[in-house]
Amino acid sequence: MIVSRQIQKLIADQEGWTRRMFEEGLKIKKLYGEENVYDFSLGNPDTEPPRELQKMIAGTLLDPVKGMHRYMTNSGYEEVREEVAGYLEETYGLPFTASNVFMTNGSAGGLNILLKSMLNRGDEVIVPTPFFWEFKNYVVNHGGKLKTVRSKDDFQLDVDRMAAAITPRTRAVLLNSPNNPTGAVYSQKSISDLVALLNSKRSQGQDIYLIADDAYRKLVFDGITLPNLFKAYDLTFSINSHSKDLALPGERIGYIAISPRMPDAGLLVSGLMITQRTLGFVNAPALFQRAVAKFQRTSVDIGEYQRKRDVLYDALMEGGFECVKPQGAFYMFPRSPIADELVFVRMLQQDERIMVVPGRGFGKKGYFRIAYCVPMETIQKSAQGFIRIGKRFIKR
Amino acid sequence: MFEEGEKMKKIHGPQNILDFTLGNPVMEPPAQLKDELVRLVTSDDPGMHRYMTNSGYEDVRAEIAEFHSQRTGLPFTRDHIVMTVGSAGGMNVVLKSLLDPGNEVIVLTPFFVEFKFYIENHGGVMKLVPTTEDFHLDVGKIEAAITRKTKAIIINSPNNPTGVVYSEKELLDLAAVLHRRREKGQRIFLLSDEAYRKILYDGIVLPDVFNIYEDTISVTSHSKDLALPGERIGYITASPRITNLKPLMDAMIFSNRILGFINAPALMQRLVSRFQKNSVDILDYQKKRDALYNILVEAGLSVVKPMGAFYIFPKSPIPDDIAFVRELQQHRILAVPGVGFGTPGHFRLAYCIPMDVIERSRKHFLELGLRNGKK
Repeated sequence: MIVSRQIQKLIADQEGWTRRMFEEGLKIKKLYGEENVYDFSLGNPDTEPPRELQKMIAGTLLDPVKGMHRYMTNSGYEEVREEVAGYLEETYGLPFTASNVFMTNGSAGGLNILLKSMLNRGDEVIVPTPFFWEFKNYVVNHGGKLKTVRSKDDFQLDVDRMAAAITPRTRAVLLNSPNNPTGAVYSQKSISDLVALLNSKRSQGQDIYLIADDAYRKLVFDGITLPNLFKAYDLTFSINSHSKDLALPGERIGYIAISPRMPDAGLLVSGLMITQRTLGFVNAPALFQRAVAKFQRTSVDIGEYQRKRDVLYDALMEGGFECVKPQGAFYMFPRSPIADELVFVRMLQQDERIMVVPGRGFGKKGYFRIAYCVPMETIQKSAQGFIRIGKRFIKR
Repeated sequence: MFEEGEKMKKIHGPQNILDFTLGNPVMEPPAQLKDELVRLVTSDDPGMHRYMTNSGYEDVRAEIAEFHSQRTGLPFTRDHIVMTVGSAGGMNVVLKSLLDPGNEVIVLTPFFVEFKFYIENHGGVMKLVPTTEDFHLDVGKIEAAITRKTKAIIINSPNNPTGVVYSEKELLDLAAVLHRRREKGQRIFLLSDEAYRKILYDGIVLPDVFNIYEDTISVTSHSKDLALPGERIGYITASPRITNLKPLMDAMIFSNRILGFINAPALMQRLVSRFQKNSVDILDYQKKRDALYNILVEAGLSVVKPMGAFYIFPKSPIPDDIAFVRELQQHRILAVPGVGFGTPGHFRLAYCIPMDVIERSRKHFLELGLRNGKK
């Protein structure tokens, strides 16, 4: 076999059911026509970037700066990082400067270069489940081990379990809030308890870094605010992307924010410079660095996502599903009415032409994920399907 | 060394320092490409900035495949192409897909140092093999360096740092060596880094590696030919002649995802697909090569005339190339020592800089007072 054994294994870990699901989905789309299938399987929003951002890019190109498509320093344009730092300072109330910001190829790029800069072979990274499956690949890419820890039933952090999972090799805790796949936002209490745990380890001489995957940070509902992680804990990194808030997922643009209180931050940035280069990113795409700089305070329409959440959540409730009401992102993670969610997900596909992802794809069997970043019409049309299948299986 | 150069710039003013260290071209992208970029951005087509399949847009890959088919006469389809975050991204994706810990990859010296990182990132071991005196393939040495753990050999032609272009004859000789291993059941991939493939001088044609050897994968970028290095756009091309190709393509698409690239930047994919046959002004580079080559020869340096890329790799008049590069600094010329490319006793000059810097350097090179490449 010509392909790396490690890659073969990683592919096999996910391929079995995803491939089958995907192919069945294609068949159903062919059979009934794309418009009669309700596809909630992808986190690929149908939204467009804000109008002003599109205008701004056009303006930049019509009045080009010399050298604007050339290489720049691996961390990104200084003036862009300054702009982002200003926004971070305002958001977190800490003295961020350009040197606390590192422009990346989206969150996925940011996580990979940070993990490579940080991990020694065999170091452990704790992740609460259910979790975004790619975290595992990112950690394994750089010789680390992923340690998953079950969250509570309401998908809040189970800090006692996290404490039990810490070993001398624990290097980082990786959080994603608002969460993919649950839509949960970690409460102030969850965060305070976790920080107390990390600080107690720190006082015993073990520095454990808190890595916040903040890809959905601006997508929060009902006027709630996220806990201020940078104020809570000194060893914090926030991994940001403009895939969701500015609807630019295909352009691969984001940044790492490093706490101004981080000791040895300079050394870490030198590490990021090298991993950014040697992993092949070299720098975040030049044009989109400029594009996002002035749009740090902007976001796509959150109200629209909230309305979609409400319509979908109401339908699930009417169908009798058990589901934690999401407070952010664009995912919902209901319990499957039958224990083997794979069977249920297939029925949903075949009987109601509704496509979702089985919970095992996020390390949690017995649940399924609905990505509702789809047109409202799709949600409305599928509502009866969810209600029907719910009533079939759930006895009240 | 870099810091000393910066110091010189401070003392004498940056305009008085002749900086030949950076492979960051001063050229702008072709005018038509800039127009097309404006057209795309103002087109109002919905969904232009969304995710697409990890290998890149189907129509973009189809267009690139068509370009390769015309060029090589081989049946390339979109399924042979993976759009990547430049060559650097592409190399990482290929190596991650191929290598298991301990696998060896042959790299020819002098070499682009980043190859070492790309190989080691994914558990591989780099095996360095010297080229001939004039920087061409030493096929005998390559054959001697092959072990049972050899998984790939990287070639980079036109070459950084030498500017050398490998001939069809020497590539055929290399293919013969690789075929002998193949007959014994060992498949060794030819990984062709073609970042400089369009920057060729004197009308020479780059030999087509796909027709020379079956197990060939090329990686290229539009950093140099379309002057878009900051935008990070390139692609991998796998040969239609690779047997059992599907698992390898799947692995590369998967690696592109999990390494965090996800996909090549969307807007740039659309942009470059229509410019596969275009390039920045190559004649301009050729004039710069001629000017610099003539200056170096006049100054008494021993140098192989580059046939492509925008680098030249003269012999250092003294064995200690670091000491010589320091001496050049005293004459306000910044260069990179050969030891940085695994070949001491030489130094690299990158001439992707304004012509007047090259012209002004003449006086300073002549000041060295060399004769027949010696002090």
